[in-house]
Amino acid sequence: MTATTTTTNDLNVAVIVKLEPDFSEGNVSYNADGTLNRAETKSILGPHSAIASNAAFYAKVKYGARVAVGTMGPPIAESALQQAQLLCDADELHLYSDRIFAGADTLATAEVLRAGISKVEGGKVDVVFSGHRASDGETGQTGPQTAWKLGYTFLGNVVDYNVDLESRLVRAKRLISLQGFYDIIEEVEAPLPVFISIDPSYKAFFNTVSQRLAFEKYQKEAKLRAENYKQFLKVLNTQQLGIDPKLVGLPGSPTIVYKVERIPKAKASRKAEVIDGANREQIARVVSNMYEALGGMVIK
Amino acid sequence: MEHYDVAIIGGGSAGLAALKRLSDLNKQAILIEAGKKVGSKNISGGILYSKKPKHGKTYNVEDIYPGFLQDAPIERKITQYMLHATSNDKIFTMDLTAAHEYQANFGYSVLLNRLNGWFAKQASESAERQGGGIVSGVHVRSLSWQDEKTVIIETDELEPFEAKAVIAADGVNSEVAEMTGARAKFTPEQLYQGVKVIVKLPEEIIEQRFGIGPDEGAAHLFAGDITLNHIGGGFLYTNLDTLSVGAVYHYDSLMERPSEPYTLINALLKNPLVTEFIKDQVAIKEEIDKNLPKEEQLRTRFAVSKLIKTWNELRDTYSSRDGRKKLVESGKYKSEEEIRARLDYVQNELATKYDTKFVTDYIELEYGAKLVPDGKRCAMKKPYYKNILFIGDAAGRGVFIGPRIEGLNVGIDDAVRAADAVARSIDRNDFSTHYMGEFYSQSIEESPYTRDMKEIDKDYLKIFLDAARDVPKDIIGQRYGVVFKLMSSGTLRGLAVGFANILGYDRLLPLVESEDTYVQVPIELAEKMGRHVRATYAPTIPTIAQRIAQLKYDDDRISHIKVLHPNSEFMKKIVTLCPTLCYSMERGGEVTLQHEACIECGTCAKETEWHHPRGEKGVIYQYG
Amino acid sequence: MKSSSNYQHLYVVVEHEDGMPVPVSLEMLGEARRLMDGFNKKYSSDEKVVAVVLGHNVRKLCEELIFYGADVVICVDSPELQHMRNLIDTKVISQIARSRELVAKFSNASEFIKPRYMFFAADSIGRHMSSTVLAELESGLASDINKLVISDLEIKHEHKTKGQSMKYEKTLEMYRPDFSGFLWTTILCLDNRNPANEREYHPQACSIIPGVFAQIERDTSRRGAIVEYVPKFDEKDLRVRVLDRKIVKSAVDFDSHKAVVSFGKGVKDSPEQNIKLVAELAKEIEAEVGISLPISKKPFSVSESTNSNYMIPDRVVGTSGRKVAPLLYIAVGISGAMQHIAGMKESGFIVAINPDENSPIKDECDVFIKGRMEDVIPLLLEELRKQRPTIEVKK
Repeated sequence: MTATTTTTNDLNVAVIVKLEPDFSEGNVSYNADGTLNRAETKSILGPHSAIASNAAFYAKVKYGARVAVGTMGPPIAESALQQAQLLCDADELHLYSDRIFAGADTLATAEVLRAGISKVEGGKVDVVFSGHRASDGETGQTGPQTAWKLGYTFLGNVVDYNVDLESRLVRAKRLISLQGFYDIIEEVEAPLPVFISIDPSYKAFFNTVSQRLAFEKYQKEAKLRAENYKQFLKVLNTQQLGIDPKLVGLPGSPTIVYKVERIPKAKASRKAEVIDGANREQIARVVSNMYEALGGMVIK
Repeated sequence: MEHYDVAIIGGGSAGLAALKRLSDLNKQAILIEAGKKVGSKNISGGILYSKKPKHGKTYNVEDIYPGFLQDAPIERKITQYMLHATSNDKIFTMDLTAAHEYQANFGYSVLLNRLNGWFAKQASESAERQGGGIVSGVHVRSLSWQDEKTVIIETDELEPFEAKAVIAADGVNSEVAEMTGARAKFTPEQLYQGVKVIVKLPEEIIEQRFGIGPDEGAAHLFAGDITLNHIGGGFLYTNLDTLSVGAVYHYDSLMERPSEPYTLINALLKNPLVTEFIKDQVAIKEEIDKNLPKEEQLRTRFAVSKLIKTWNELRDTYSSRDGRKKLVESGKYKSEEEIRARLDYVQNELATKYDTKFVTDYIELEYGAKLVPDGKRCAMKKPYYKNILFIGDAAGRGVFIGPRIEGLNVGIDDAVRAADAVARSIDRNDFSTHYMGEFYSQSIEESPYTRDMKEIDKDYLKIFLDAARDVPKDIIGQRYGVVFKLMSSGTLRGLAVGFANILGYDRLLPLVESEDTYVQVPIELAEKMGRHVRATYAPTIPTIAQRIAQLKYDDDRISHIKVLHPNSEFMKKIVTLCPTLCYSMERGGEVTLQHEACIECGTCAKETEWHHPRGEKGVIYQYG
Repeated sequence: MKSSSNYQHLYVVVEHEDGMPVPVSLEMLGEARRLMDGFNKKYSSDEKVVAVVLGHNVRKLCEELIFYGADVVICVDSPELQHMRNLIDTKVISQIARSRELVAKFSNASEFIKPRYMFFAADSIGRHMSSTVLAELESGLASDINKLVISDLEIKHEHKTKGQSMKYEKTLEMYRPDFSGFLWTTILCLDNRNPANEREYHPQACSIIPGVFAQIERDTSRRGAIVEYVPKFDEKDLRVRVLDRKIVKSAVDFDSHKAVVSFGKGVKDSPEQNIKLVAELAKEIEAEVGISLPISKKPFSVSESTNSNYMIPDRVVGTSGRKVAPLLYIAVGISGAMQHIAGMKESGFIVAINPDENSPIKDECDVFIKGRMEDVIPLLLEELRKQRPTIEVKK
């Protein structure tokens, strides 16, 4: 028996997740005016939150990390925690829930998450993961703002990462897209603790037999745990989090939504000719126009 | 480099049995499987046998997995085994149940995707206790030796690792055999090509139609005109709530007169007896009135789809004893009558409100194909190479005796023998060919399955003769004349068979496995003595494009197969013989490949650089 | 309540690569210029558009920014700032935002606390940068904005004004399109005037979608001030090391294709088959394939290869993706959300295929083929093959 695996319990990670509407076809429901019908639409663990959970699972499989998952939301947000636990075999689940958290913008939300992460048992969190953005809302602001409040180095658009446990460093690859320029893969190194915002293209990859075996082991454990997720769950309110009520919820939000309106149809910039898609003659004519557009004279 | 004592390559029933056995012997073993999950690339006919041979011993599935009969997701215990000779709408049936039961404890119909999934769960639990386990989604790319003892295994996905011993369980197209040069690729004369479809049929309808009870099953075999003049035959096995319907033909007979595999299975499906066997009630949606406002059309479409889904689910549940019980227990329905009432209500709603039609037709769930090695012709004499032991199909050890095909149980028996040999070597830390390979080879020699591949069993033969008792001598005697006379006489039979066995199976085979046996004789039988069977409907058979569209794939961008001889005669025939039309002929006569629809059967392996796709990629069977 | 002169000027955080400004930086300056010209006229004031540039060897770039609308450029040139690193850049930008000393160099700074408004780019870097800077400055941020208006508003809000109606002057209305592309949400960053929790929130900040606003014409007659800033670094701030930077070629290349065929949610009836049809059409006319924004969120179940090939952000045509202007643009099953239109309306000849005649895209195309793509594309393919020019077309 000579398989060697490094499993030090030296790494503490956390994931912040969100319960979001399920936008996939067949599950999403829209009102007549095009707005989302939240009542009729199922809620699931947001897809970017799921990817962040996968990233945390990588830390557990490869480094034996302890994983905590947290979310701010009403009681139904528990199901996001359960789904996340299934993905990352979380050791601890936090629900930050309080009526006064309602109406929070990203700054106010970040304040709650900052406080929550400091309450993770098992010691100071070395790496916090978040998804790139939520699929509703979509600001992408909450992650970096939470990082800033925690004082953790923020690394965004991470597509790959590894931890050097001895020197307490993270090495990560980031994908930077600049308008009008090429894409860049940047490799950076930063000391722990860090806050990683995971790029949507991230895919955890395990490249040794022992990691694959550990993956199976923890996956099985995750299934069992998720079935009894309540045992791992802590619900924390304002008091328990030790935060100033003035900094959370509506009172703590600099921004508000002022109004929502239909984007007015821009004045038509072109006059379209409407043709019948079943009329071969007309189609033939369009095709000839298309070839003309593509390059000057069309010679038959 | 990471190091493991044993690496098993291939997660079919054989590989999994090896893993279970080794783990039960307290040895650490890992199993490498290319599919994303174990079972996703497995397909069988299939019936799994457990044997009680008169001489010698076989390791049966229930010996390896103690809870097998109670817990495994097996389908039905086959209690009826019929052979039908066919010619158009005339069928002559012979009861061969005795042949099925000969030296067998049982034969269960199985669907490999779920069965191997169960084997995997048992095996991995056992393996994990020893620090081993199953690694899936990994494709082995090469094997090399640093020193005589240690094999270095390279894969497409992982860092290389070492093992002291390897068990090659990677099937009839074994890449391990190819990479190491342990044996040559199998040739068409040594192989059968099997193709099958899974047909949906509710549980109790199966029981009524085939005259079987809830714990019973039927196997029906076919020979005659349905073979389209190829050597082999068709089969239909009852699973719990599906049917496995397929055909298996000598690959070299297919080479002589190539037919598309889907044509062969369609010929079987169109036989009136089969047509009647597979029929069911199917709901057909009506076209939605395009003049209705769009929202109305959409709402109707979703409503009808949902109702039809409900109807199907209710129908399947209602048709299952267990299903009905569970539904009532769950509290959703107060009684079974209530379920029936609801079913009728839904059907009525569909018919009256949405004009849905309920017609007689059949439903296909999955199409698949596989090559089967004929152990009589290609079993490896010494199934090892250095410290690699070959088991099951990878060692060419399929058993074909008449209509009965045994592969799954042979693989399991081989697996145990290999596992025992490896365990013994681990104890002595001696993996030399002398200590391990030869020991395993010897054990294989002693296996009753090996005997079946070398000799005719005269008692088994007698069963066929008895079954053919009512057949007019002139039909059979005409062809086999003296031989038949010899075989019919009890005393002479023993001598004759002994003589035949001395002569060698291979001399006798061409006689027995010939067009006469599988095509002409059955046709004549059916013509002269068969009864008329009428089909009451014409089945809507899916096109090959529809069958392929139904399969699930995870496409790899790069092709896993390379055509080496685009202009050869062999490749030209492959254009016809590939079950999923991956090959086509260009105008200049070259054969080209589109790999996306490949189901990895290996029909084209002989003249291509053939590999399975990379880990997780390729076909994903749902039933198998 | 502090006086209005506590918060002045519009700071624009400029991004650049290889000595060149990223186009959105110039677009932001253009919009900033327009807004502040209107602002100064309306309120008889003299607030400035202040560009903030962090980098190394960026002096030349700073001069250019004046020509594109900046009144002032705060230039921070240091080898440590050569590549954008969130931690150090946030610290420096925040220092700059709070620096009365800096403002004194170009304006009356006696009561300056923080900028009135702040713009960032809504791209990989800017979206995160804006978040951390505003966390540090403890004020409000709205991201992915494509319309801005400065106005005096009457606000009645249960919390901000305790239900009273109050006037908020010089408020920046920040409009962001929602995920469907059809709705605008207007975000405001407002002071809390509720006595229970009085608080001022400035700057009012937003990140701006690239490709939405127009730059102003480069005007070399414009004058402005370039102010140097020497940042104060703490060793700890430099703890992120950039080890390597590699340019990645995208699999998608719109620019080198004369035609683009895009598809949207109209493929939903049988996504796998329909996408194959679209791909065939694209292949026939040698076009690159684009998608509408909702498709990049993978709303349909398709094979792995179709998913990874087509449903990727790289293919999005629109303000959240790429702006394209090929000679021929074909929109298949796309209804025509404003975001998408903005991304392709400069194309030469635009053809839309859609069964619904009421789709907004009808007003943005030259030919609207009414029909389902399953029926129309095969017909198109036939005709395309029949009419394929027998002589090479002239470029």
